Amino acid sequence: MLYFSEIKGRKVYSEDGIEIGFLDDLIFLAIEKPKITKIIFLDKNKKKYTVSIDYVNKINGSVIISKNYLVTELQDNELSVLKNLLDKQIIDIGGNKIVRVNDVAFQKEGEGWYIYGVDVGFLGITRWFGLENTLIKLFRVANVNLTPRFLSWADIQPLELARGKVKLKKEEDKLERLRPEDLADHLEQTNLVSARRILRLLDDKFAAEVISNLNINYQSDIFRHFRPEKAAQLIDLIDIDEAVDIILSLSKKRREDILNLLPETKRKSVLHLIGLSKTTIGGLLTTEFITVSSNCTVAEAIGKIKKETEDFYFLNYVYVVNNDNQLVGVFNLHKLLLQNLDVPVYKFMTQNVIIIHLTTPGEIAIKKMLKYKIQALPVINEQKNMIGIVNVDDLTKYILKKFS
Amino acid sequence: MKEFIKQARYRLMIFLAVFGPATITAVSDDDGAGVATYSLAGAKFGYSILFILFVVTFLLAITQEMGVRIALVTRKGLGDLIRERYGIILSVVVFFILFIANLGTIVSNFAALKATFQMFGLPVAPFLFLSVAFSIIIVSKGNYEVNQKIFLLAVVLYFSYVISAFKAKPDWSLAFKSLVVPTGIKLSKEFIFASIAVLGTTITPWGQFFVHSFVLDKKLSVDKLKFTQFETYFGALFTDFFSFFMIVATASTLFVHNIPLTSGEQAALAIKPFAGELAGFLFGFGIINAALMGIIIISLTTAYAFAEFFGYEGSLDAPFQKGRLFYGIFIFQVVAAALIVLLPFVSLFKIVFITQAMNGFLLPLIFFFLLKITNNKDLMGQHVNSKIYNYFAIISSVIIIISSLFVLISSFL
Repeated sequence: MLYFSEIKGRKVYSEDGIEIGFLDDLIFLAIEKPKITKIIFLDKNKKKYTVSIDYVNKINGSVIISKNYLVTELQDNELSVLKNLLDKQIIDIGGNKIVRVNDVAFQKEGEGWYIYGVDVGFLGITRWFGLENTLIKLFRVANVNLTPRFLSWADIQPLELARGKVKLKKEEDKLERLRPEDLADHLEQTNLVSARRILRLLDDKFAAEVISNLNINYQSDIFRHFRPEKAAQLIDLIDIDEAVDIILSLSKKRREDILNLLPETKRKSVLHLIGLSKTTIGGLLTTEFITVSSNCTVAEAIGKIKKETEDFYFLNYVYVVNNDNQLVGVFNLHKLLLQNLDVPVYKFMTQNVIIIHLTTPGEIAIKKMLKYKIQALPVINEQKNMIGIVNVDDLTKYILKKFS
Repeated sequence: MKEFIKQARYRLMIFLAVFGPATITAVSDDDGAGVATYSLAGAKFGYSILFILFVVTFLLAITQEMGVRIALVTRKGLGDLIRERYGIILSVVVFFILFIANLGTIVSNFAALKATFQMFGLPVAPFLFLSVAFSIIIVSKGNYEVNQKIFLLAVVLYFSYVISAFKAKPDWSLAFKSLVVPTGIKLSKEFIFASIAVLGTTITPWGQFFVHSFVLDKKLSVDKLKFTQFETYFGALFTDFFSFFMIVATASTLFVHNIPLTSGEQAALAIKPFAGELAGFLFGFGIINAALMGIIIISLTTAYAFAEFFGYEGSLDAPFQKGRLFYGIFIFQVVAAALIVLLPFVSLFKIVFITQAMNGFLLPLIFFFLLKITNNKDLMGQHVNSKIYNYFAIISSVIIIISSLFVLISSFL
C-alpha cells in the first residue's frame, strides 16, 4: 500500500536514470474499482505532462517511466486525485459534513494500481509532515495506540465525485468499515509489509477478525513482527482454536513471550490446547486426495477423477490449486454433478477453504469438522501447498481411543 | 410617492433580515483589547489620532466586504477555500498560527475583564468563572438566531461609550475636524506605533475569518449580496463610530489634562474626576461588554476555522452531538484563556507580544488569499473585483501588510 502523501513531489526519472521532473498528480477512473490510468508530472519549469500509467515502470520512493513515453490528454470519465479527491469535504448521505480527505491510499493489484480508500484520520494529516511514525511511537510510550480512520472506496459514491462532491453511501453513524473477510482476501493479494501496515491501522477487535480470516503464512508472519503486547492483545481477541493454531506456528521464544502477556484464564486454556497438540495430526494424515487446477473444466475434472481415484477408499471433495500448487478452493462431488461440462471449476468452487496444519491438535480439527459440517480437512504447509487430508472417521477413531 | 415608500419599506425589510453578521464582526473588532488600545491612544495623542481612525474605517470596510462577498458567492468559509486551494500543509500552518494568535487575544480580553472587575471591587475568580459559564452556555445551547440577538444586544451596549464621551464635554468641533483632516499630528515613533496598534486591533486575522464563517452560518443566498455589502459598509462605519467616542472620551479628559495611562482599563477610573462618576462607570461597563463579546466571538472564530479546515460540522445551528469538535474547540479556548489569566506567573506583556507577532505574520497571508480569490473568475463569476475596486483592495492590503510586517519585524528587534 502506498499513500499519495508519500509519492507527491517525488522525482520522476526515465528508465536510463535521467531526471525529468516530479510527480504532481494521479488520474483515475471514477468507477467501482478506481484504476489509476495516468500520472501527471511537472518539469523544472512547472510545465505539466500527462502520461499513461502504461509507461510507468515503478512508483515507490521515486517514479520511473519508459524512455519512449507519450503525452496524452484526460478523458471525460477521468478524475484527478489532487483536484477531485484530496482535501475535499466528505459528506454523508444526509448532507452532514463528516471530515475532509486527508490522504489517499493506493494498492497494487496484479498489474494495475487502484485507489484503495481515503484516510480521514488525524494520522493522515501528520503524514504530510513526515511525522506519522514519530507520533505513533510517542503515543505508544503512553500506551495509546493511534488508529487512523480509513474509509473504503466501497463507501464512496463515484458518480458524485465528478460533480465535485465526496459523498458517502450511508449516514455517518451507519457507516461500517470493510468486512473483515473482504479485507483479509484483499490483504492476501498484497505483500506482507503492506498487510502488516494496514492491520496496524485497524482497531484491535477488527484486526483480530481480519487475522482470523487470513491464511497461516500471513498469520504467523504478522505475529512474528508485531510487538508481543500487541500480539497478545490480538491473540486474546481471536477465536481460541485459531489462536492456538497461530501460536504453534511461532518460534518457542516468541510463543512464550506472547503467552506470558495473555490474561491468566486465557493462557490456561491456550496451554491446555497446546498440550494436546503433542499428538499431532501427522499420524492421521492420508494422501488420498485429488487436486485440479482452477481453470480446468467440469469435464476435465470428471476425467481426472475417473483416471486417478479408482482405488480411493474415500472421496468427497476435489481440491483446487493455482499455478504455484497452492490451495485456493474446494468443491464436493454433488456440486460438481450439478454443473455443465464446460464450466471451469473456479466459477463454482468455495474459495474460503477450511484448513488445518500439521501442528493442529486433533481436538481442534474435529471441532472444525463439526462446526462447518465437513467430512475431510485439507492439511497444508507453510507454502500453502496441500500435504494431505484428514478424514472424519480416522479422526473419530483417534479421539475415541484417547478417551476409552 | 406611495410607490416609493412601499419600495423603501420592502428594501428595509430585506436589509433587516440580512442585518447582523457584518455589523457584529466589525463591532467586535472593538473588543476588550481594542478598547484598551483606543483609550491609550486617545490619552496619549488626543484628537490627532482620530484621523488614523478615519483611514482605518475605509480599510475595514473594503477588507470585510471582500470576505462577505466570497462567502456568499462561493458558499465556503475562508478555511474551506484555503484547504481546497492551497492544500493541507498550509492549512495546518495557518490554523496553528490562528489558534495561538486567537488564544492570545482571548487571554488579553480576559485580562481586560479581570482588571475591570478589580476596579469595580468585584471578586475576580468567581466573576471570571461566571463569564466562562455564560459564554459556554449561550454558544452551546443557543442556535444562530439566539446568538445573533445576544451579539446585537452587546452592540447596542456600546452606546455607553457615547454617553461617556458626552459627559466628558469634549471640544466637538476640534474632534470632527481632526477626524477628517489631519490636525495636530506630531509624527514620532510613538505615534506610528500607536497608529499601527489602532489598525492592528481593528483589522485582524480572526475578524476576516469570522465575518466569512458567520455570514455563511446565517445561510443567506447570493441575491442578498447587495444588502450584505451595504451592511458591511454600515458595520465598519458603526464600529469606528464607537471607536471615535472611546478616543474622544479619553482625549478630552486625560490628554487635555496630561494624565498618562499605563493600561487601557485604567481609563475608566482616570476619567472620573473630569467626566463624572457615571461616565467612569459606563466606560468600565463598556469594557466588560466588549471583552465578553470578544471572548465569545474570537473563540467561535477558532472553532469555525477548525471545522472548515478539517471538514467537521461547524454551525451554531448544529446540535451538540454533531458539532462536538466545533463546540469542544470553543470551550477549550475559553477555559484555557481564563485559566492562563488566573495564573499569577504568566506575563501578559509577553502574550500580547507573541499574539501581535503571530497576527503580523498571518495578515499578509490572508490578504494574499483574499485578493487571489476575489480575482478568480472560476470561483467568483460575475462578482470578481472590478478594476477600480481592485486598486482599492490592493492599496488597502498593501497598507495593512506593510504595517503588519512592521509589527512583525519590530517585535523581533
